[in-house]
Amino acid sequence: MRSLPLFAVLFLLSPTCAVAQHGQTDLARNPLLKNPEAVAAGAKLYGISCAGCHGADGSGGRGPNLIHALESSPLKDDELFSTIRNGIPGSDMPATKLPDDDTWRLAAFIRALTGPAVENEVPGDAVAGEKIYWSSKAGCSNCHAILGRGSGMGPDLSDIGGTRPLAIIREAIIPKKNDPSRNYELAGNEGVTVTLKSGRVIRGIARNRSNYSLQVVDQSGKLWLLRMEQVKELKVLDHSLMPADYETRLSSAEIRDLLAYLAHQSLRPGSEARDLEGPNQ
Amino acid sequence: MAALFAGAAMAQVRYEDILKGPGADWLTYAGTYQGSRYSSLRQITPENVRSLVPAWTYHVPDANGLRTSPIVYRGVMYITNSNALFAIDAATGRLIWRYQDTRARKRGVNRGAAILGDSVYFTTTDNYLVALNRENGSVLFSHKFADVNTGTTSTSAPLVVKDKVLVGSAGGDSGMRGFIVALSAKDGSEIWRKYTVPAKGEPGSETWSDLREWGGAGTWLSGTFDPETNTLFWTTGNPWPDFAGQPRQGTDLYTCSLIALDLETGKMKWYFQFTPHDVHDWDAQSWPMLLEAPWKDANGRSYMRKIVVHANRNGFYYVLDRETGKFLRGTQLIDNLTWAKGLDDNGKPVLIPGHDPTPEGNWVCPSIKGATNWMGQSYNPGTGLLYVLTMQACGLFTTSSQKPVPMKNFAGGGATQAGGQVILRALDPATGKRAWEYPMPGSGNMWTGVVSTASGVVFSGDDDGHLVALDGKTGRHLWHYYTGDDLTASPVTFEVDGRQYVSIASGSNVFAFALFQAGQ
Repeated sequence: MRSLPLFAVLFLLSPTCAVAQHGQTDLARNPLLKNPEAVAAGAKLYGISCAGCHGADGSGGRGPNLIHALESSPLKDDELFSTIRNGIPGSDMPATKLPDDDTWRLAAFIRALTGPAVENEVPGDAVAGEKIYWSSKAGCSNCHAILGRGSGMGPDLSDIGGTRPLAIIREAIIPKKNDPSRNYELAGNEGVTVTLKSGRVIRGIARNRSNYSLQVVDQSGKLWLLRMEQVKELKVLDHSLMPADYETRLSSAEIRDLLAYLAHQSLRPGSEARDLEGPNQ
Repeated sequence: MAALFAGAAMAQVRYEDILKGPGADWLTYAGTYQGSRYSSLRQITPENVRSLVPAWTYHVPDANGLRTSPIVYRGVMYITNSNALFAIDAATGRLIWRYQDTRARKRGVNRGAAILGDSVYFTTTDNYLVALNRENGSVLFSHKFADVNTGTTSTSAPLVVKDKVLVGSAGGDSGMRGFIVALSAKDGSEIWRKYTVPAKGEPGSETWSDLREWGGAGTWLSGTFDPETNTLFWTTGNPWPDFAGQPRQGTDLYTCSLIALDLETGKMKWYFQFTPHDVHDWDAQSWPMLLEAPWKDANGRSYMRKIVVHANRNGFYYVLDRETGKFLRGTQLIDNLTWAKGLDDNGKPVLIPGHDPTPEGNWVCPSIKGATNWMGQSYNPGTGLLYVLTMQACGLFTTSSQKPVPMKNFAGGGATQAGGQVILRALDPATGKRAWEYPMPGSGNMWTGVVSTASGVVFSGDDDGHLVALDGKTGRHLWHYYTGDDLTASPVTFEVDGRQYVSIASGSNVFAFALFQAGQ
């Protein structure tokens, strides 16, 4: 399950529910956000109230994967508060009926679990992780660039920590066992080998393709704009180019440090919510 | 056969390439540094333009009222939307890559990208200059050049000159202090910054009574550049509060002006203020165009004079000396102009009393949208004509009794606009004399501009959603295509694999057209 059901989203988009039921005047912002003690306390509450359905790490079980769900349908603080407090009527999600402070603590933990990696304390040594990232052993830079360094063939990682939760980054490196979706969401990242009628062979990632044209970035980062009448043979990989052997290629400490390094990759100093409308000038 | 390689080994956009002006590629917002939106392409002619057919349409996700003018290099088109840049295969319309800054703190319009070397540049609404690898979209840097909490936002396409990326500022309708900043093309670091409202004690500050810190003079349209004198020409926006003149008595320099700046230092060489103490929100934002025109000296001898021409929102058309900023000529751009009798010998408007905003309101022509605006204009050396969109409209201008508070969308009053007639006019640029006119039905909502070609075709949008082709010499209609929505940006033309395209990003789509080709 990748996202909250529609009825749940609609319910959650109604923050006045919480205000009306609890007489709160300011539920707009979580006062305990990024408070380490509150996050730790929230983790304990999560273990008691939530982990049974949503998994100890938020990766789901009987209930949805929280990281995926909140990434595709983000909730404001008051909406998250309301969901924890009241549950989702008509679903298996029960009301916790926790006091306000505990509800905010739990919400602070869920924010830390599901928010961009750069906003949260991440275990591991980012300096050691940097060496691993740029080493031939990990080989990350063979496909991924950070601030112009490395190959531009695969997804750019300059802002990966600023935009993605740690769990999502970890999942990309260490995929869940037997997760077929890994090879079903390749559009824009398909590995291809193109043999042209001229005899030239191009290997890279198809950023886009149709029956009529093909846009390929090769490992050196160069772009090829091709028309299918030029192509003699097109081979499309049926699996991701992302290596699937990092669990054996790197030690668990190396993976932890690599994740710490990636978590630090952010183009902005921290999360800056989009909150204002701009001018028409 | 299609081009194979968008990035041949030695292919890098150089300053010299931009200097040459549009051929196959379109490398800067206004086409040329002189601001002429003129292309040397000749495949599409007045004779064959009736065979122009759609080549592709790209729908821009989440777009609404696109303001972007495409940049095209080696078969790749770069267009922008709010906090996003898209690279599109310019011959097929297929997306190659996109960059989206999901953490930008504001949304707003964006007028386009710039390109140099292997980098393509654009700004986020909250003032980050972003550089991306032009082939694969990798991030090279993202550099914050202004604080959005000071009221400044960014909407214009950057202007790349030599090793610098010139960026303007927006937000003058809510209070901010305008500037132009030169950033390093290599890493985004600041080289110089020129504020368009002087600080207390600086020359020009005596033209303000108060509110200087929030005085506006935004620079929200890309400027032009004279390579011979290394001079940037940039127009500035309205003073704030827009409609309330009382708290800012004086001429309010350098609002509603044209300023000439040294490229290397940002030092001001001269300025010319079109509308001193503006109270009608008549930003000077249509770009200054650099030309040479036949002139006669004091002894009656003919020579080619370097001039800068400017069609202003206030209803007048100006011709200035390019080297000194001296006012040479001024004419009425529109027929219905009620607030001034004309321009004096120094180019200052001779006011007609009773046209300032009041609590009850005063009816003034032109309207707040102005006699022209930021819609792109074109100068065609072949026809010798300047093509400029004009609008004949009037409106009621009122003041508010509220105390000015910056950054709260308070403009000191308001203005209405009742319809209006958009007319594309061809002018003799040296005299402002009209050669022909192309009136359009519609409701005055269009924002599209003009591009003209060496073959003598003028492409523009009309006020009713049609992209149109006209004969550059006569204004005769040659072709049109209905896009289904108001047009909100200007067309460009380019060539891929020997085929000329005309393209416009507008509404929520990018459209491209080329001559009919069997089996396309």
